Amino acid sequence: MKVFKIILSLLLAIIACLLIFFSINALDLSALLKEIVPLETMQQDAGLEKAVKRINDCLADGNQNRALRSLNRLLDDYPDKVHLDVQTKLDLFFYRNNKVMLTLGVYVLFFSAALAVSAFLKQQKHQTAVLVAILVASLYAGIYIVEDLVGVNSMLMTVLKKGAIYALLAVSMNLLNGFTGLFSLGQAGFMLVGAYTYAIFTIENTSRAQVYQYYQGGLVQFTLPTLVAILLAGLAAAFFAFLIGLPVLRLKSDYLAIATLGFAEIIRAVLQYDGLGRITNGSNLLRKFTTFNTALFPFAVSGICIALIALLIHSTYGRSFKAIRDDEVAAEAMGINLFVYKQLAFVISSFFAGIGGALLAMYQTTVQAAAFTSAMTYEILLIVVIGGMGSISGSILASFLFIASSEWWLRFLDNVTYIGTFKVPFFRSGFRMVVFSVIIMVVVLFYRKGIMGDKEFGLKSLMEPRKGGKRRG
Amino acid sequence: MADSMLKLNNITMQFGGVIAVDDFSIVVKQNEIVAIIGPNGAGKTTAFNCVTGIYPPTSGQVFFENRLIVSNYPNKKMKALYAGGNKNFPKEKVCLTPDKITRLGMARTFQNIRLFKSQTVFENVLIATHLHQKCNLFSAVFRLNHQQEQAARKHAMDMLEVVGLLEVKDELATSLPYGQQRRLEIARALATKPKMLLLDEPAAGMNPQETAELAQFIRQIKERFRLTVLLIEHHMDLVMSISDRIYVLDFGRLIAHGTPEQVQDDPKVIAAYLGEDEE
Repeated sequence: MKVFKIILSLLLAIIACLLIFFSINALDLSALLKEIVPLETMQQDAGLEKAVKRINDCLADGNQNRALRSLNRLLDDYPDKVHLDVQTKLDLFFYRNNKVMLTLGVYVLFFSAALAVSAFLKQQKHQTAVLVAILVASLYAGIYIVEDLVGVNSMLMTVLKKGAIYALLAVSMNLLNGFTGLFSLGQAGFMLVGAYTYAIFTIENTSRAQVYQYYQGGLVQFTLPTLVAILLAGLAAAFFAFLIGLPVLRLKSDYLAIATLGFAEIIRAVLQYDGLGRITNGSNLLRKFTTFNTALFPFAVSGICIALIALLIHSTYGRSFKAIRDDEVAAEAMGINLFVYKQLAFVISSFFAGIGGALLAMYQTTVQAAAFTSAMTYEILLIVVIGGMGSISGSILASFLFIASSEWWLRFLDNVTYIGTFKVPFFRSGFRMVVFSVIIMVVVLFYRKGIMGDKEFGLKSLMEPRKGGKRRG
Repeated sequence: MADSMLKLNNITMQFGGVIAVDDFSIVVKQNEIVAIIGPNGAGKTTAFNCVTGIYPPTSGQVFFENRLIVSNYPNKKMKALYAGGNKNFPKEKVCLTPDKITRLGMARTFQNIRLFKSQTVFENVLIATHLHQKCNLFSAVFRLNHQQEQAARKHAMDMLEVVGLLEVKDELATSLPYGQQRRLEIARALATKPKMLLLDEPAAGMNPQETAELAQFIRQIKERFRLTVLLIEHHMDLVMSISDRIYVLDFGRLIAHGTPEQVQDDPKVIAAYLGEDEE
């Protein structure tokens, strides 16, 4: 087994090195162009010369994607003029898939290294760590490659981006509702605080006059780095949670839900208040703040946050949260200070809700308080319930399924469709939500405790039985 | 007084018009097993709840190791009722929450078993070790408290071994049979490393043989952990066999106290349990 692993890892390492070698040594496009379009043919055709020049111009501007598109058009337009043999075809392939090959190469190299390391590890615990590292690396490498293949703005990537953000929001809500047993409906409020804090502090200084055009260019006149602003968004939400928690957490179940729901509505109204306009831009949009383009960013931030929450839940603090959920009186008799621990869970949950809100703002590229209605809270609550109260992996799974079906898979139900001349009944705008509701009802009927219940989809199913496996989005 | 572990001074608990516990005073000395008995509704569990801080008594004080842990006195109209003409009627109010009282070293079990339902047997005991883990959030999340955690796990395993539940440690707590659930509650209480153990009807629902085993078990843990035990019980066999002293409550009032033999022969106790002759 050990020898086999080492040989396999060596083989993989060689493949990885080849991949990296070829991707680094791929000819650049201008050199490639000289091969494909020989000088004499180019001089015979003015159109061709123009096309080649366009590609070179694009390259000079550093716009690789446009250069590639122009190249494709050139290949389509002048199929008989270009000179394509096996060698140039291969070079072209390497050039086009440069990024993918490099990623794949680095990933395979990592994989082989992990495999080699695992061959020498004896302890089960370390083996698990290596496996987790491999899975995480696969996930991120996979996203990077898929994104390169299908394009950043494709539906798949949109769903993945939004799904990752909702996964964080759902897990943070699960920490409170599922693990600590506090039924809070203030999620949208904390997201809103996070989203606004983030947006306000990252609007470009040059755009502030334009964004705050009704409020003399706004009060905040500096821009924070993205990650600092995200952290600040979480802290702002946590601070609000701390203040609200002082009175509200003395309430139980339904009353707590109503009080937190009330808070979410109040904060939404306050942020639209004209008097705060120089900070919050009144009821107008906040825009032109730093956003992300690649799905790797939300995946990285949510992944780290969810991992932190998972670590927390498996720590002694997490055990205390679960004890409070199961039996408050007994938990208190075991020396757990109810108020302190409820407050802690509330603040931590809100911290991550704030970060989720900031990510959502980045995803939407604009943010407006009016959009953060209680319906948003219910959406997340729905994900938590479908995924299973008290299951991190359930929340993650459910949020991707939820976003995929609401944004993508059920879209066709909204379009008026003809099969031949037969108009399919009911297919019109809004029908999607009807079907969606029915699906949710069915899920809740047949999986009363959600898809995962309070179990985790762990490494348990991948390896021999052992506890403590965590998965992430 | 030096070796007094727990002292209740004139505890009265009034729920509206009902006086559940009326002017109840007891002293429990170190290393003693003391029982509170009485017919149903005599106010035994209410007295327990006052001691462990679940609710403050209407009036009275509780000392634990000569430290005042609970003290409450009524105000306004109620004060006139309770204090009467007494000008030195105390006013101080102390009411530690149950978690603080547990921290001082008093652990309890519950009459209607209160286990953490969704957790395994082992996790139930592990939660109770939280009390002795001194780590902040950061070190807990990033596992910097590794050694403490290991020690806590070992301690929890030891406790399970003491109560003989080691074989079922990975089962769901609520899937255990009744008697084992009771033992698990005791294990959980022991895991907080208490000086004093309060047992609320530990033998409820047990057959005579199980009760005899329990008596043996309580004596055993008392010796092993140098505990002081205060228990409420209905089973006379159990109470008579293990208690050093017994307090008898009826309708909230203390009607007798003494050694098992003294209490057994007390006519008031017999009357309370069997009913008085009509004649």
